[in-house]
Amino acid sequence: MKWNCRTRCALVCLGFIFLFSLFSFRLIYLQMIKHDEYAGLAAEKHVIKQPIFAERGTILDANNEILANNIPVETVVADASRLNNVDATVNLVADELKLPRAEVSEKLHSDRRYIVLKREVAKANADLLGQKLHAQNLRGVYFEQDATRVYPNNTMLCHVIGFTDFEHKGIQGVEGSLDEYLHGQDGYRYIEHNRAGQEIVLYRGQERAPRNGYQVHLTVDLNLQNIVENEIDAAMREYSPKKATIILMRPQTGEILAMANRPAFDLNKRADAKPEEMKNRAICDMMEPGSTFKIVTAAAALNEHKYSLDSYIFCENGVWNYGGTPLHDHAAFSDLSVKDILVKSSNIGAAKLGISLGDQKFYEYIRRFGFGERTGVELPGEIPGLIRPPQSWSKISITHIPMGHEIGVTPLQMTTAMCAIANGGTLMTPRIVKSITTGDGKTISTLKPIALRRVISSQTAAQIGMALRGVVSDRGTAAAAAVPGFIIAGKTGTAQKVGPHGGYEKGKEVVSFCGYLPADHPEFVGLVVLDDAQTKPEQNYGGQVAGPIFSRIAEKAARYLDLEPHEEIRKAVPVERVALTSSSRH
Amino acid sequence: MSKPRRNWNEVNAASLARWIVLTGFLALTGLCYVYLTLQLYHLGDRKKALETEVANLRMQNEVASAQIAALTSRSALQRRLKEGYLKMIPIAEHDIVRLSLPPRNPDDAIQPVSNRRSAR
Repeated sequence: MKWNCRTRCALVCLGFIFLFSLFSFRLIYLQMIKHDEYAGLAAEKHVIKQPIFAERGTILDANNEILANNIPVETVVADASRLNNVDATVNLVADELKLPRAEVSEKLHSDRRYIVLKREVAKANADLLGQKLHAQNLRGVYFEQDATRVYPNNTMLCHVIGFTDFEHKGIQGVEGSLDEYLHGQDGYRYIEHNRAGQEIVLYRGQERAPRNGYQVHLTVDLNLQNIVENEIDAAMREYSPKKATIILMRPQTGEILAMANRPAFDLNKRADAKPEEMKNRAICDMMEPGSTFKIVTAAAALNEHKYSLDSYIFCENGVWNYGGTPLHDHAAFSDLSVKDILVKSSNIGAAKLGISLGDQKFYEYIRRFGFGERTGVELPGEIPGLIRPPQSWSKISITHIPMGHEIGVTPLQMTTAMCAIANGGTLMTPRIVKSITTGDGKTISTLKPIALRRVISSQTAAQIGMALRGVVSDRGTAAAAAVPGFIIAGKTGTAQKVGPHGGYEKGKEVVSFCGYLPADHPEFVGLVVLDDAQTKPEQNYGGQVAGPIFSRIAEKAARYLDLEPHEEIRKAVPVERVALTSSSRH
Repeated sequence: MSKPRRNWNEVNAASLARWIVLTGFLALTGLCYVYLTLQLYHLGDRKKALETEVANLRMQNEVASAQIAALTSRSALQRRLKEGYLKMIPIAEHDIVRLSLPPRNPDDAIQPVSNRRSAR
């Protein structure tokens, strides 16, 4: 067959049609069927999602003093594949960042593409290093913007504030418990970059602004906290106890005004802190409260009308055998009124009050006062304490629990129970957070006082208050807790220390004092606890060790809060007061 | 005799003018497009520079705030007071006016007491 011109033309045309059809099909395949896949791959190459970091919220005290805020820092990183002069870079980086040369050398001689050389480098130092790298034309070292948390008051309030980890996640204290409010929400921005890695602003894509963390305002007053911290430090120097805790709380609202523990740690040097120093003992440690717990026993007996405040109870002249176990008083008391059982801190009297109530009823009151359950304060790691149900009590438990033995309570629970007496019988939930606001002051949440339940009647609370005034008198066990010009109500506690393997440790005591001021209209309740104070055995009592500490704190706090001295005292000595005032001017 | 052949083409002036105008318009549009695109790039760069400047200022502000907070913190002030840098005079004991105790009431045996030890 001979192909003529027309046939050849037709064949060539067909060939072209076939070829272009192939191209067209390929184009359709790439542009329509595989579009999303290849568009994604292309975007991966030059579009990045750039995070915009939110600032962590600050923590402030009741007077808006800063307790925790942020400071911008840089993280110095390197890409080993882009280093053009490793040895020169090692020398410069080691000198500028004050790092061991061997460590930097080992890191930079690897083939990794992301090497963290140092975190939390101050902005000024990072800028200086950047300039020197640029001047020497050294490549491969980069700076990532970051922020670190700083605590201007170092150790003050360390257990309450807590701290964050290097990923800025709160892991203790308020930093941990309110992390969801403090950390904010990071934003993002889709950007395209050129070959040099610089952003092409023209092609900026979808964007979401970050939401900075909220500000948390605490109920703690730094002035009162300072008073407490100074006194707890003085107590540590004077008595060298193993542990110490002091709490100040407003009884009407449950606001915690100050909370200090020892041992403590520096929040800005938290890497050096030992685990024992980081424990908030006010909520994480339990202790046998000793005689301070007698307020619960007496309040329960009065509230159940088993006795009146002036009812007399025979206190067995100092020794009482119950259930085959002798129970001792620190002095031989014969007949004591219920009031004097508290004033003199009679163990036998308290045991008889407990027996009058019976196991079940007494247990109910213990639970109503909030023992054996978490108080609900906004701090992490709180323990409920240890209150056994009556079914597991021994025969003599009903004589030991009324005087604060065989139970474990936290210092905060004890303070909260005393608040219930001070405020007329209502158990308040202790609060450490006052409000949460935005950075520009808009209130997000205000935390109102929470009255948990009425524990005892106001009459019973007033009666116990009257008895507790007697404790801080020349007849009571805590004369040293008095504050000139004010009438104080309070209760001492001295309990033998429970050893780590059970049983009591001889010669080791937990001494405490829990009281409030002014007795008639309490402004604050305070608890002082010292564990294993190093003092003479005959002086190692709550009234003699913890009482004076409370007195000094209460006096300074009363001055700071501008509390009026007790009316009766002011009326009694007007002339002398004037004379003193005038003489003091000379 | 055959007609002499013309050695030139006729130019349609109107058509030529249309093409020139159209080409000019397209060229101008292209130049405008390039100019505006360059302006956008330029503005983008300026925007980026301003953002960097604002971020740096914010950073400096944060550093300054943190320094102020650290220098005015209670512990820093107490340290400076101890070092004698702050000339504050503590209130001496003899400058504090204390209230005397009321006479003891025989009806109520419980009275507040003066605590000399705590009054330091």
